[in-house]
Amino acid sequence: MHSFGVPSWRDHDLTFDPSLPTEGINVSRVHPLREALILVFGVIGVTVATVASIGFVVDWVAPSIPPKYEVYLFSDWFEAEEPAAAPKPRAEALRAVLDRVSVHWPDSEYRFRVQIWDQAEPNALALPGGTIAVTEGLLDAVTSENELAFVLGHELGHFHNRDHLRGLGRGVGMSLVLFAVGIGGGGGAAQLAAIAGQLTQRGFDRDQESAADEFGLGLVAAEYGHTAGASDLFEHLRATSDASALASYLSTHPLHGDRVIRLEAVARAAGWPLTGERSALGSKLEAPSDPSSETEPAADPVSTE
Amino acid sequence: MEDAMGIAVLQVGIPLALLLLGYFVGGAVERRHYASIQERELRWRSLPAVNFRTVPGGWIVDDATLVLGNVVISVDYFKRFLAGLRMLFGGRVKVYESLMDRARREALVRLKVETVERGYHALVNVRMETSQLASGRGGSGVAGIEVLAYGTALKLRTPPT
Amino acid sequence: MILSNIETIPGKNITRFYGVVSGSTVRAKNVGRDIAASLKNLVGGELKGYTELLNEAREEALHRMTQQAESLGANAIVNVRFSTSSVAQGAAELFAYGTAVQVE
Ligand SMILES: [Zn+2]
Repeated sequence: MHSFGVPSWRDHDLTFDPSLPTEGINVSRVHPLREALILVFGVIGVTVATVASIGFVVDWVAPSIPPKYEVYLFSDWFEAEEPAAAPKPRAEALRAVLDRVSVHWPDSEYRFRVQIWDQAEPNALALPGGTIAVTEGLLDAVTSENELAFVLGHELGHFHNRDHLRGLGRGVGMSLVLFAVGIGGGGGAAQLAAIAGQLTQRGFDRDQESAADEFGLGLVAAEYGHTAGASDLFEHLRATSDASALASYLSTHPLHGDRVIRLEAVARAAGWPLTGERSALGSKLEAPSDPSSETEPAADPVSTE
Repeated sequence: MEDAMGIAVLQVGIPLALLLLGYFVGGAVERRHYASIQERELRWRSLPAVNFRTVPGGWIVDDATLVLGNVVISVDYFKRFLAGLRMLFGGRVKVYESLMDRARREALVRLKVETVERGYHALVNVRMETSQLASGRGGSGVAGIEVLAYGTALKLRTPPT
Repeated sequence: MILSNIETIPGKNITRFYGVVSGSTVRAKNVGRDIAASLKNLVGGELKGYTELLNEAREEALHRMTQQAESLGANAIVNVRFSTSSVAQGAAELFAYGTAVQVE
């Protein structure tokens, strides 16, 4: 075998030195916890900044989308999902309550529709295009028309403030952030970003819920002349032993502090009477007298102010 | 509400426990591995290992053979988590440097041990090969890194002292 | 420190040899560069960001290898080889190795 250069070391007496190189040259000497701290705060910072700026942009853009365009865009989105399980009379009665509250928002450009979803968890949702979805579980849980009217009024508040569009926009933004983080950093980073992003979103959600509550309370006060019954649902949900029922409603309408106390404060400030007679639900809306119905509230519905 | 709390605790608690396990146990494993590598490197350091093909002039070679030394090692959860975060920003992935350093030195030391055990005295034309054994899902995590060290072992008439 | 990727340093005699010295570093690309690169991928051409990244990392690997040789008291490294391998998705190891020697 030949070596390249002519005066090769082949010709010499060669010494072998068995020394070992200095330890640690190929490893960066940084404490892993220091690195962890920098990276974790970096990811949290970037996520919060991105999600918050998407939130602000969406909050700024959403109100300028004309409701007419929104209705046109989403008109056939939730049509097909109409569940056949809902008995027609119940939907018609629900529709009547909605008409009674929505009449106090005369300049609305929406043509509201109601849907009853066959789910046991009490929940109500404002869907793009002007559809309000109410679950069977919620209809079973409410005990007075006022209570139901406030739930619907709250959803109308979300339409009024265009929260459903903001939620949609922020959801898309958040998914994009998580997607980017997921490709780049994998599971751990995505999880961290998801938590940071959710906490940032919660700040936006709280403001929305308060605003929707105020709007809904105004509609209820205008229709019935008082705000009694508005906060009954929260009392009922709290009183039921089923924790998932409350969690379900709160997951889409997060609680801001004590909502009941806040509602009272809003009513007091606006000069709306806190007490008054609650209107009955009417037989078409009432929960079926099926003993197996488990979402029946345990608390006395008239126990609150 | 309690349910939501429970889910949150699970979501945060399990990864946190894995991180702590990785940090403490993984750290201890790495320190022990380094101690073992250093001890064996010192023990076998008098075996010449070079990566050129020329045989020094004074050596009379009686026999030569191909020898291999390999190792597959993996990184702990804590380091994998940090590396994952690092991938977002780019730059030096410090936590993987020690992984590569350990793998390479381990493979080289095994190559030397193999050489000695088979009765050879020196190694020439040492080469190293690295490959990633990708994990099944997603691929963002590492299941293991293999380093293969190989070279030609020489049997010398008069072994170097 | 004299480096070569042949077995000798031409014009010099090797008088002493040590063992294999190596230098390595692991680098990750970032998401921003990745997005830019994936756009560039549509039309082809040089991914300047990555060229820079790998070049810088390889320099570092060489530097670390040199440091190892210096710590042995060597003044040259012969038969230098490079290898690049993927450690995880999005992270690569740049590795350089050679044999530390003393020449005169
Ligand atoms: Zn709400």
